[in-house]
Amino acid sequence: MSAVIDSGHAHDEHRPDGGIMRWVTTTNHKDIGTLYLWFSFTMLLVGGMLALAIRAELFQPGLQFWHPEFFNQLTTMHGLIMVFGAIMPAFVGFANWQVPLMIGAPDMAFARLNNWSFWMLPVAATLLVGSFFVPGGATAAGWTIYAPLSTQMGPGMDLAIFALHIMGASSIMGSINIITTILNMRAPGMTLLRMPLFVWTWLITAYLLIAVMPVLAGAITMLLTDRHFGTSFFNAAGGGDPVMFQHIFWFFGHPEVYIMILPGFGIISQVIPAFSRKPLFGYSSMVYATASIAVLSFIVWAHHMFTVGMPTAGILFFMYATVLIAVPTGVKVFNWLTTMWRGSMSFETPMLFAVGFIFVFTMGGFTGLILAIMPIDIQLQDTYYVVAHFHYVLVAGSLFSLFAGFYFWVPKWTGRMYDEKLGKWHFWLSMIFFNVTFFPMHFLGLAGMPRRIPDYALQFAGFNEIASIGAFGFGLSQILFLWIALKVTVLGQGEKAGQRPWEGADTLEWTHLPSPAPYHSFDEQPVLG
Amino acid sequence: MTAMASEQTPKSASPLQVAKAVLWSFLGIRARAAHESDVTRLKPAQVIIAGLIGAAIFVLSLVLLVRFIVSSAA
Repeated sequence: MSAVIDSGHAHDEHRPDGGIMRWVTTTNHKDIGTLYLWFSFTMLLVGGMLALAIRAELFQPGLQFWHPEFFNQLTTMHGLIMVFGAIMPAFVGFANWQVPLMIGAPDMAFARLNNWSFWMLPVAATLLVGSFFVPGGATAAGWTIYAPLSTQMGPGMDLAIFALHIMGASSIMGSINIITTILNMRAPGMTLLRMPLFVWTWLITAYLLIAVMPVLAGAITMLLTDRHFGTSFFNAAGGGDPVMFQHIFWFFGHPEVYIMILPGFGIISQVIPAFSRKPLFGYSSMVYATASIAVLSFIVWAHHMFTVGMPTAGILFFMYATVLIAVPTGVKVFNWLTTMWRGSMSFETPMLFAVGFIFVFTMGGFTGLILAIMPIDIQLQDTYYVVAHFHYVLVAGSLFSLFAGFYFWVPKWTGRMYDEKLGKWHFWLSMIFFNVTFFPMHFLGLAGMPRRIPDYALQFAGFNEIASIGAFGFGLSQILFLWIALKVTVLGQGEKAGQRPWEGADTLEWTHLPSPAPYHSFDEQPVLG
Repeated sequence: MTAMASEQTPKSASPLQVAKAVLWSFLGIRARAAHESDVTRLKPAQVIIAGLIGAAIFVLSLVLLVRFIVSSAA
């Protein structure tokens, strides 16, 4: 409160209050970005522990640790926490930190809304994680919460529904803020087609979020009323249709996939040119490809449902549309490659993660194409091949791009360089253990091992053992990341970073602001030539 | 800003130019010279409307292709 009463004096003098209230009441985009990033990293560790519980169970055939019911809770909550608690808020954290700095704005457009959209998240996370402790445990219907499974579960399902509603509201508010900031607060001279790619990808992602989060909210509200208020949206006995849930869910779910990768594309598009010491090849084609991917993402949802049954015409339509998304995505990959071509490249940690991203994300993209072909998908639906595919896209894609972004921008955030040696260790351990974990899952899936099962037939034992070893290695590697992050952010250790520690980086935060970026930056708008 | 705005107003893009930009965007490719002219000429509203029309045409042509294939198989 005192901060509000005292707000009469000059703005330049505003420094953060000390203690916990600084973080509770902050309206500063940098503080809120930091909150988002720590929150999402915490959720990554929580979701990661659930993943390790899954992999421990699957290390050997036979039931080792968990009852099958609890195993289903583990897979479900792992998915929900990673998607809604870790990946999405992490990108919002980057948007909070970077969008104002990259467009020359003093802060986000709606500072208090910004505070509110963050502080809803811990509430949602508490509901979600707390649902493990209610009668019947957490929701076990899979992260896709398909009806009729989800209309039958205990109160854990209700808590998940409320948590998703709150997270959705938070995402929508964050998106409104990001769009308004980008469209209204750019420095004079920064036209739309001169914005850095990270800003562009977030602008498009924010529109996607506003378009599809209400769809998810609608789906789960219908679930809620089916569960408690006597409606029959998804109940065939009452004239409803459980397949409708899948259509509505995936109309949200497929654009959601792009929501989780487009800002990653943006980060990679900043990192690759900086460490290749060349401008990004095909800037405008990158912008257009991003927009194109976003538009196409709305017309491919039923490729998740080939085995549910639909008319041949429907199958062909969704198959063709899905395969065509590979075109703009391929353009992006080629643009990154051509940016590096004959560049004066160096391989600090951000660049390692960016190049690693291109390598592994492309593999995930290709397995996506394979799954898009309906006759193959019929064989591979709900097998470990699918698990391998989306982890290649979401871990090696989204998460690696987040790591690249962290190492790239942390000198600007803290004024200190991270520990380069440990950063490289982090990259190589993550890269190797990631592949040890997920590459064998392709073989498991091709051999027919279903996903979401606590036990399996003997012939799957070998590859599961390898995958579990890789998973524990990958999990432990992230403890190293925690140490690297703590060292540079909280302990303030590391060499002092200059204004522009990466000589190839040329966006506003590097050219116009010292490191660390002051608490209030761009009080006067920079003017671009 | 006003100086820039007055520079931009005289040459706003024709529908054909907008359509071209949007069609190239579906492929995800744009030549540098064309990009330079996009920067000065295209207005966001034009691009969004053209994009929606383009998406509709894209969906319709896919539907037509699928119908053709399904009917020729029968």
